[in-house]
Amino acid sequence: MRVQLRRFDRIAIRSEARSAISLRRRITISIAAAAIALGVAAGPARADGTLALRGVYYKERATRVMQPMLDGMFEAGERGLVTAHFLVDAITSASASSGAVDTASFTEQRYEAGAGYTHQLSDWKVGGEAKYSSESDYKSFYAGARGELELAQKNTVLGLGGGLGHDTISGGPASGLARLMLQCERDKQETAECGLTTYSMFLSASQIVSRNAVVGVSADLATLRGYMSNPYRSAIVGSGTSIGTLRERHPTERNRTAVAASARYYIRQTHTTLIGAYRFYRDNWQIHAHTPELRAVQEVGSSIDATLGYRFYDQTRKAFFYEERYAMEQPYLSDDVKLSKFTSHTIEARLGILGEAFQLDGRWAGARFEAILQYIVQNNRFGNAVVAHAALTIPFSY
Amino acid sequence: MRVFYNGYPHAGHATRVLWSGPLVRHLLLAAIVISSLSGCVVVRANQREFHAKRAMTNDRDAGEARFSQHAAGAREGADGGTGEPGGGCGCN
Repeated sequence: MRVQLRRFDRIAIRSEARSAISLRRRITISIAAAAIALGVAAGPARADGTLALRGVYYKERATRVMQPMLDGMFEAGERGLVTAHFLVDAITSASASSGAVDTASFTEQRYEAGAGYTHQLSDWKVGGEAKYSSESDYKSFYAGARGELELAQKNTVLGLGGGLGHDTISGGPASGLARLMLQCERDKQETAECGLTTYSMFLSASQIVSRNAVVGVSADLATLRGYMSNPYRSAIVGSGTSIGTLRERHPTERNRTAVAASARYYIRQTHTTLIGAYRFYRDNWQIHAHTPELRAVQEVGSSIDATLGYRFYDQTRKAFFYEERYAMEQPYLSDDVKLSKFTSHTIEARLGILGEAFQLDGRWAGARFEAILQYIVQNNRFGNAVVAHAALTIPFSY
Repeated sequence: MRVFYNGYPHAGHATRVLWSGPLVRHLLLAAIVISSLSGCVVVRANQREFHAKRAMTNDRDAGEARFSQHAAGAREGADGGTGEPGGGCGCN
């Protein structure tokens, strides 16, 4: 515990000092990149693209996240589309599961960059993407490919995709005796790093069913192999006077399945779009979850839209090894509250406004400003959360 | 299928169940039914003005979807179902 305390004291002090400068610098670089990209637009127009700047603020009882991000989409030739993104996740937390000790909050940053390419081939669309994420104790790489087949004058779209991810988890940047060691598998020696490999696949189908309605279904399958515990969490074990804590120990194999269906319906008379979706999830840790969702998007004139949404998440079965307290040591131990049985409700309001609503000209007429506010009622110890987004999407030609 | 729920299954069996389970079979059936609908209903391109609206295609930007997926992965036991490949969450 002292090892962790020293480590996080250092992180807290160091990151408090650096985070403000570093984050400011990264945001400045992102904005400069955006300005350069927009500057390129001054040349002769051959293709179109969009650049989106978004800032997200997430706050709950013990955790605060600020995430500025930059997303770009560029046409490449007549049939190609390139996408790219960069983001910074600045997490301030006093939660032990994030690594805080004695409720002393610390700040840590995660950087993520990704790029993808999609190519149109007659009725087919094929593409690939890769992304890399890095923080002091977690590195993650993902690469995936996808294909879409358009049938019946694009009324039907069938999709198939898959990917491979590899994560490396460590006890943080400390070295020597201060380093937090991890047990990658039961009955194995502790090591400085553990790996987690993810194989994923998805299938999807969408169908236009009338001039103003479309339906879709999808399935996601994922197989995870490797370290899935949180090195900073400990489970309470024992009873009476002999109570102690033991480091979390999750199984090293997980198979996830999620199936979803959605429908979109446009009401011509009121210019309203109704969106309904439902997802069922289960895995071999025995977690079951149902997620119904409903949104109504109201057009106000041609340049403003307002949305109200509601999402219900019902985790009806907990993981087979999850207990709030363990009477005695078990093969698997967890203090991860998201593996318990719980419900959450999300209420969302959003407003989107095009630049033309402010009498702007040129590319700024097509620029879209968006503000989103979400309130999440979480019936577990995470507590309720507030999420706010502000985004600006700017179209350009180059 | 029962083995899938009974404790922690052997990896080989779990994988076999995962890729050939009833859920996936039902989904494939749904996909076949949906694709067969194309024979019944064909809305021509010049009749799809409502389908071109933002809310009818994708009312969520890539950045918003990515953040929501990441936040849900950190706060909910379920993951996936968005029709997009996941992985690399970094949120144990």
